[in-house]
Amino acid sequence: MSVAAVRGRRPSTQMLEPLLPAAAVAVVLGVWQWSGSFLSPILISTPTRIAQDLVELFARGVIFSPLAESLEELVIGGSVGILAGIALGVLMGRYEVVDKVLSPFVNFLNATPLVVIIPLVIIWVGISQNARLLFIFLITLWPVLLNTLAGMRNVNRGYVDVGAAFGLSETQMLRKITLPAAVPFILAGIRISAGLAIIGMIVSEMEVSLTGLGYLLVTYGNSFFTGRLLAVVFLSSMFGVANVLLVKWIQASFFPWIAGAAADQR
Amino acid sequence: MLDIERVGHVYETPQRRVEALRDVSLSVREGEFMSFVGPSGCGKTTLLRILDGLAEPSGGRIVFNGHELRGVSRDIGFVFQDINLLPWRSVRENVEIGLEARGMPAGQRRETALEALRMVGLEDVANVPPYTLSGGMQQRVGVARALALHPKVLLMDEPFGHLDNFTRETLQIEISKLWSKLGTTIVFVTHDVDEAIFLSDRIALFQGQPGRVTRILEVDLPHPRWEFNVRGDARAIEMRESIIEHLGVRQEVLV
Ligand SMILES: Nc1ncnc2c1ncn2[C@@H]1O[C@H](COP(=O)(O)OP(=O)(O)OP(=O)(O)O)[C@@H](O)[C@H]1O
Ligand SMILES: [Mg+2]
Repeated sequence: MSVAAVRGRRPSTQMLEPLLPAAAVAVVLGVWQWSGSFLSPILISTPTRIAQDLVELFARGVIFSPLAESLEELVIGGSVGILAGIALGVLMGRYEVVDKVLSPFVNFLNATPLVVIIPLVIIWVGISQNARLLFIFLITLWPVLLNTLAGMRNVNRGYVDVGAAFGLSETQMLRKITLPAAVPFILAGIRISAGLAIIGMIVSEMEVSLTGLGYLLVTYGNSFFTGRLLAVVFLSSMFGVANVLLVKWIQASFFPWIAGAAADQR
Repeated sequence: MLDIERVGHVYETPQRRVEALRDVSLSVREGEFMSFVGPSGCGKTTLLRILDGLAEPSGGRIVFNGHELRGVSRDIGFVFQDINLLPWRSVRENVEIGLEARGMPAGQRRETALEALRMVGLEDVANVPPYTLSGGMQQRVGVARALALHPKVLLMDEPFGHLDNFTRETLQIEISKLWSKLGTTIVFVTHDVDEAIFLSDRIALFQGQPGRVTRILEVDLPHPRWEFNVRGDARAIEMRESIIEHLGVRQEVLV
């Protein structure tokens, strides 16, 4: 039974349903805008003010170099972390010894709220871009690692039987069965890890040394420029949105079978 | 040719110990079509997995052409009940998997796979993903994947179990034709007594838990079977009654 058949009993509500999210956003924005007529602009500003400030940040060009700094850290630290996470996960999934040796550390570090190691990272590499990169790397590593491992552990028994029945060697089994079968888990891991990389980027820019978007957030906050502050907040949200869209795009373009096979299961 | 000698099998899991097979002996003859029929849980799949080398028997042994079987043999092909086509590969690439394991070069692999697909009438869909095919077509790909390796013995585990009656009957005729054309020895598991009678030279009846072979019947009907109405044949009807009586269940319960 389709979702529409369960939820929308009358045709009129059915037709309105797709508009509901847009309407909800419009109402919230409207109330927020209206609140500007009696609340101090320093508290939460207003949507039009924030939009103006956002445009101005770009028009005056102040946003470009912080944005570039942030992006550079995010891309380098995040992608190294994700690649290392996948590689370690594959090694742990493939070799039991590696798994036995690493799993206590992996589980401990994954359970640790890693913001607490910022002082340690600074002690190691000093207050520098390297410290921020290292922190992003360390915070990114774990989810994708654990997801890769889980994906390799949860390969459909039937696929493994096929590999065994048709005589694949262990290396062939890894390349032709286990890894492709783990791709949906790995992609989910990448999405989670990339989300953490964004958090890591902002946090390290606020806590290690003031640069990038973190610098703008702290400066505008301290100066009570709430409109500009929220414009930068909005930009950070766009990083998260871009992450989700990017992973969706990767899945749809390179692994269309994931959606296809799921639809076939019914 | 394929001798099952006093084979027993026990599954040990942390929760329980299941004796799936006890003391099963029978010989599959070269070139014959043999079916295993019996109620659910009597160890038919277990025995087939042992015959393919996917599982080791806890007792007894399998002798294939005079040699004790150890591990997966190149000459034995398997068609799975759940088919298990790999969704990240095209139909043709799925058929190629066993050829890749043997290190066949890409061009030759492609030719061999297309030829196997031609045998089951699917060369037109060689390049589509398997999940876009109907259940019956997917099962044909499963057959082609095994045939591509030119096995001497083909093991088939309830290959038509999930299919509707219409598709099922078509595929029964197709497999019967393939068998007479290729001369492959086939061991075929099914719940369906009519299907077993239509296809087989001999039928082994399995019963109980642990499963054992309690009777082996010769199906005394001429080939090719698709040229006459087997279901209406007096000998077939009699055999059907006798099997159902022997297994002590009505067909509806068996399925
Ligand atoms: N991996 C396993 N671990 C534990 N027990 C198992 C396992 N596989 C099968 N069994 C048990 O062994 C017995 C025989 O199972 P098997 O799958 O061989 O039966 P079957 O005759 O093929 O049944 P069906 O007709 O339903 O497919 C059953 O009791 C089953 O629960
Ligand atoms: Mg079975």
